[in-house]
Amino acid sequence: MTDQTLSASRLNIRNLPVWLWSFLGALLVWVLSFTIAGQGAEGMLVAALSFSVFTVMVGLGQMFVITLGPGNVDLSIPATIGLASAVAMKVMDGQNGLILWGLLAALVCGILIGGFNYLLIRLLRIPPIVATLSSSFIIQSVGISYGRGLQIKPPAALSDFTFSRFLGVPVLAIATIALSIVASVVLHRTIYGRTVLATGQNMRAARFAGLSVERTRLLTYVLSGALAALCGALLAGFSGGSSLSMGREYLLSSIAVVVLGGTSVAGGRANVPGLWGGALFLFMISTLLNTAGFGSGLRDVFTGVIIVAAIAITGTRQPLR
Amino acid sequence: MKQTMILLGAILASTSLTGIAHAETSGMRIALSNNYAGNSWRQAMLESWQKVTSQAVADGVVAAVDTFTTADQEVPTQAAQIQNLILQGYDAIVINAASPDALNGAVKAACDAGIIVVSFDGVVSEPCAWRVAVDYRQLGQQQLEYLAGRLPECGNLLEIRGLAVTSIDNLIHEGLADGVKTHSNFTIVGEATGNWDQATAQRAVSTVLPSLPEIDAIVTQGGDGYGAAQAFRAAGRDIPIIIMGNRQDELAWWQEQRDANGYETWSGTIAPGISTLAFWVAQQILDGKEVPKDLTVPYLTVTQETLDEAVANTPVGGVANKEYSQDEAIQAIADNL
Repeated sequence: MTDQTLSASRLNIRNLPVWLWSFLGALLVWVLSFTIAGQGAEGMLVAALSFSVFTVMVGLGQMFVITLGPGNVDLSIPATIGLASAVAMKVMDGQNGLILWGLLAALVCGILIGGFNYLLIRLLRIPPIVATLSSSFIIQSVGISYGRGLQIKPPAALSDFTFSRFLGVPVLAIATIALSIVASVVLHRTIYGRTVLATGQNMRAARFAGLSVERTRLLTYVLSGALAALCGALLAGFSGGSSLSMGREYLLSSIAVVVLGGTSVAGGRANVPGLWGGALFLFMISTLLNTAGFGSGLRDVFTGVIIVAAIAITGTRQPLR
Repeated sequence: MKQTMILLGAILASTSLTGIAHAETSGMRIALSNNYAGNSWRQAMLESWQKVTSQAVADGVVAAVDTFTTADQEVPTQAAQIQNLILQGYDAIVINAASPDALNGAVKAACDAGIIVVSFDGVVSEPCAWRVAVDYRQLGQQQLEYLAGRLPECGNLLEIRGLAVTSIDNLIHEGLADGVKTHSNFTIVGEATGNWDQATAQRAVSTVLPSLPEIDAIVTQGGDGYGAAQAFRAAGRDIPIIIMGNRQDELAWWQEQRDANGYETWSGTIAPGISTLAFWVAQQILDGKEVPKDLTVPYLTVTQETLDEAVANTPVGGVANKEYSQDEAIQAIADNL
């Protein structure tokens, strides 16, 4: 009986699935873009998919971190991408046979960074926002001293893989959709995922309920580091080499896609499909502004304004807790 | 007794003689203020600086040389850094500036404190500072000259811009605009901001590419050409003539394409070793030499003929380079007088 009333009240426009909005936004901006350009609808879509892959990858990690609850955020993602891409390219040394080792080295690098972040947060009791920001300065400095002789070319097979398409759809996008499904299952169906959600809703309550909150936080920061590292290695393949500044794009966008996608900034509620909507929306926005020929200054202002507006609108749509 | 006096005098004379040769600046300290280290050009620039200045310190030409790089590209961070360097009492500050005007306050404060300020690459407009740069405007024009030779009919151009608000981005952009005016059969049909970084350029070009007609050539600022090529590859479009900027990845890609399908282009940019010229200029000024406020040196080009040599001489991840010795710096100063 109560269940029925509840589902009846959900048949309301305001209660459409949260993630749908970001997709509608992306769709709208896409239509606007190719209407203005008069061509290129398919090209824009493929480009958006190709680049969204990387945003979603780091967005998944960031989503788990943000879901841990207020104050949790990983600002070391850009630096991790930069360093891990350099490590991966150095280990691979341009040889197809070493691709797996390179990916593994990048992952280890990301896992260590995640663990280090957690140590700062836990042992030194530094708020995550400051801890991950300061660790990103350390990572960047390590990258600069390690990075002499950067931009080593990726092995041909890795590069070909990142560019390959299946029935016109980038293979990497298909793989990342699979990864998203796995993440979704982990979030909603495993003890770890449920603990992340419970911690975000109320950390004290989660602790009293006997959940291993601290181990979950450690795992989550490690997961975020590992995903950023994987993103770095693949991005180096896609853009033909690593560079330290390669991740800069992903500081704002990793957080923006999480929020645009309907994940609660206050934690405790996460949404995986929304990441894709958010990522496509962000890419389409820059496509639209670039296509319309805005100068770089104006373009940045507009991107900022649109993100703020979108987040504000998303924020007001979250009455139920 | 008299003999000892003569001997002492001789010793004194000889020490003061060697002193004149290169000791005027031997007690002085020079700092480098650099606003960005994220791309290969800046990495090579820092490496050249390190190599030449540490040798200079070892030779006793100057007492100390310290390098400071800010982690972001922001003006306020660099301005604060310059204020710190003033307080630390350096005799000269060599700057690669985040902005041509916004650092002028900090630069003026340094000059007022009696510090010699030499800017290079990203120069500052404050009159009390020295500027060491290549003619970026001409570098922009030269790209169109080359393309006019390659595409006599006409052509659609895509322009990739650099880091906004730097003097470099403005000058190359103006030079390209001049070039398009002279060769009016060329049209710039699109613009993307690549920030001299291949990943950024790839992303930016990918956003504009679907909306553009066929592109015949891409005019660039260096560091962005390879990223543009990747964007064309991802979109499955034919790769146009891309002007390169001497980066090893760009040159290696060009060589690969030339061997595969006879690809031809042109490459030119400022040699990262210009930081070492700026160092010697600062040293010469401290030494009391007369140095003009604006020094222009030629930019380094790579052509189809010199490509193999350039690839062979450029380390992986580096940039085609030229470092300056003290004598070459003195020569460059003389050329500008």
